[in-house]
Amino acid sequence: MVRAPRLRDRALIAFSWFSGLGLLAIFAVVIGFLLARGWSSLRPELIFGDTPPVQALLFRQQVFDGLFPAIIGTLSLVLLAMTIAVPLGLAAGIYMAEYCRGSARRLGLFFDILAGVPSIVIGLFGLSLTIFLHRHFFGRLYPCLLVSALALAFLVLPYLIRSTQTALEEIPRTVRLSAPALGASRLQNIFLVLLPRSLKGISSGILLATGRCAEDTAVIMLTGVVASAGIPRSLLGSYEALPFYIYYISSQYGSRQELQNGFGAAVILLFVCALLFTAALVVRHRLAKRFFHR
Amino acid sequence: MKKIIAKLKMPAVFGLALGLLFCAAGARADALAPFKGEKGTIKISGGTAHIPVMKEMAKRIMRFNPKIRISLAGGGSGVGIRQVGEGLVNIGNSGRRPTANEIEKYHLSLFRWAVDGVAVAVNPKNPVRDLSKSQLKKIFSGQIENWKELGGEDRSINLYTRDKASGTRAVFWKKALDKGEISPRANFVPSNGAMKSAIATDPGGIGYLSAGNLDKSVAAVAIEGVEPSLKNIKSGVYKISRSLFSNTKGTPGGLTKKFIDYLYSPAGQRLIAEKGFIPVAR
Amino acid sequence: MKPAPAAEKLFFGAALFSASISLFILLFMVVLGLPLFKDGFFLRLFTDPWRPDHGLYGISAMIAGTLGVSFLALVLALPLSLGCAILISIIRPPVFGRLLEKTVQFMTGIPTVVLGFVGVFLLVPFIREQFGHGSGRCLLTAALVLAVLIAPTMILFFCDSFSRIPASWLRAADALGCTPMEKFRHVILPNSLQGLAGGTILAMGRAVGDTMIALMLAGNAVAAPHALLDPARTLTAHIALVVAADFDSLEFKIIFACGLLLYAITLAMTLLIRGLDRGNGGRTW
Repeated sequence: MVRAPRLRDRALIAFSWFSGLGLLAIFAVVIGFLLARGWSSLRPELIFGDTPPVQALLFRQQVFDGLFPAIIGTLSLVLLAMTIAVPLGLAAGIYMAEYCRGSARRLGLFFDILAGVPSIVIGLFGLSLTIFLHRHFFGRLYPCLLVSALALAFLVLPYLIRSTQTALEEIPRTVRLSAPALGASRLQNIFLVLLPRSLKGISSGILLATGRCAEDTAVIMLTGVVASAGIPRSLLGSYEALPFYIYYISSQYGSRQELQNGFGAAVILLFVCALLFTAALVVRHRLAKRFFHR
Repeated sequence: MKKIIAKLKMPAVFGLALGLLFCAAGARADALAPFKGEKGTIKISGGTAHIPVMKEMAKRIMRFNPKIRISLAGGGSGVGIRQVGEGLVNIGNSGRRPTANEIEKYHLSLFRWAVDGVAVAVNPKNPVRDLSKSQLKKIFSGQIENWKELGGEDRSINLYTRDKASGTRAVFWKKALDKGEISPRANFVPSNGAMKSAIATDPGGIGYLSAGNLDKSVAAVAIEGVEPSLKNIKSGVYKISRSLFSNTKGTPGGLTKKFIDYLYSPAGQRLIAEKGFIPVAR
Repeated sequence: MKPAPAAEKLFFGAALFSASISLFILLFMVVLGLPLFKDGFFLRLFTDPWRPDHGLYGISAMIAGTLGVSFLALVLALPLSLGCAILISIIRPPVFGRLLEKTVQFMTGIPTVVLGFVGVFLLVPFIREQFGHGSGRCLLTAALVLAVLIAPTMILFFCDSFSRIPASWLRAADALGCTPMEKFRHVILPNSLQGLAGGTILAMGRAVGDTMIALMLAGNAVAAPHALLDPARTLTAHIALVVAADFDSLEFKIIFACGLLLYAITLAMTLLIRGLDRGNGGRTW
């Protein structure tokens, strides 16, 4: 016999549906608004301005009224930050999962702390570190692409470490022990058996971290991004980036055209990040949800 | 018959246009000639009233010689002065004269290249176009809170102001408000450009910005009946004005010097005037 | 004991370095903000208003701004998230549930600055015209968008903690003839309180630490907000706004005080979450 749900139950159900539909409506409004306003600007001119695309892509001519420098800036930033963060994060993750015994486990606390530090504080750290080094050691160091990449690497390190660690720790004992039983060394076991087995978890961590690097604005605002710099030519130079461009346009667009470019940039960044995050979730469904932090 | 004349005229018009184009290109190339064969980076930051001029110059120079990189950031006059003083940028712009203290501490060289007004602006929908100084003070201190008290519609007055780093703010505070109160409840915007777009979108907004940065998206307000027009600023009838400076640490050399020289070249001075400022010769 | 092989030393070095970053950040904040503590300036930080023209550099208004914006965002997001989590993992409507779950996952990937951008051009004019008072850049606007930012994280976290209830308990409830909602109220909810608390604290930490939403939407006024339509400035936005480039100016030192405060708040939240986790892990099912 099925009892009719009581009033409280019905209220709870109604409330849940209301919330679910509400969230979906919010989502639809946000995406719909962006697409409605930004879709029409998704044309080659958005990226290349009045420069011929081929010339721009070959870096023969500079682009002035397009997103090209900001896109290249963000790409270089992400690549550089991940080049710094991935080896470090993987190595630290391997240590935490495979070697770490006893009191060294406490290191995990510091990764959690780092994961919780607001990105603007990490940016502030990057800035002050730069000024400190500039004053006392390297007179040629200014806030620049390298500093931003380093700060971003610090920002995403905890995700990489934790995702590597969790992925490794979830490998069943039977798999973990079979190679050593056959005479493999510890390193061989890690690199030939355990890491390949946990590739999914690790790569989803990397995808998430890449998304974070691409979308973060607060860190780069303090460490070297500028409104206008052209294609980055050097690690020690200023650069442009997509998220900063979006922020900049939102507060100081000078013309309808610039505003349109802002909407175009927002649509592009939205899709790049959404793609990365979705890919991360597809690659590995059950993810340590705590590290959705931003 | 008409067709023949038209045919005859065409090449003449073309020739004339071509000639003009060459002349223009020639004049431009002359001013840009010093940048030929150069290589390197110029970093500029600070005053945001300067940005339209700086941006166009950077574009011209980088287009002429792609080996030169010019990066442009805002932040406000205070930031420009400090960053150039700390050696973080080559040129620090300021919309006010650096203080004696700043000049001495950082060994600054000052290059004054334009005179600019600081205009009070409202949304174009707002019918209020003239304010007395005492009204202005009451508005900014928060004593007058509704436009209807000033003959406008019944709408709250939304104040927009700038941070302490802003030269525009320093000048406005001193010359328009006589160092009077600015309500702490005012919205903050980070640059002249941001001030303009904030007021352009807010029907109840009022703020102050570089007169050179004014355009149709906002409406300038006359102070005591005097409009912030170029003519009034130049003649000194409009009192709330200041000079635009580009500052360097010590005597500039190399690319930085050439950049500053361009500001004073005929092409540079024309550009400054085009962007709505009153050019100042060296 | 044998000396550790080179590889282990390398891995250990990486872990140690990564862990030390969080300490280095703290060190920088403390050392650079230290002069404030010496000058007896410290207390005035919390009592003075922010009036640089008058030599007053208090940050109490920004603290109030941070707390106001993030609490309001949490108050808005918590019921919404709870409702969505119930719908996704308890009620489970076949198509809509999946759709909602996918949407929530997609939403975690929306860049903050893009949400802020939409807020500037959609919500700010809306709020301004709806209430006919103020500029539309205010506490409420920022909190609404911040709620949209933190809700997906909370939903996923809540769903996760609901799914940790042992299946045997749920079967027992079924056997007693519970409706799904009764099961939720009497079995699932009481036993996932720690998870709910953890998710809420996590979301709070994110709300406190977010810069762009408040910077773009809250108006950044330097007075503490007293009403929903008042503009506000958060600690994070304050750091972003007071760009400076030297160690000497007072503003720059104050920025480090703000940084230190943010660090302390998020540190406390991290420790709380870890504590909750430990409590959870220590329980035997």
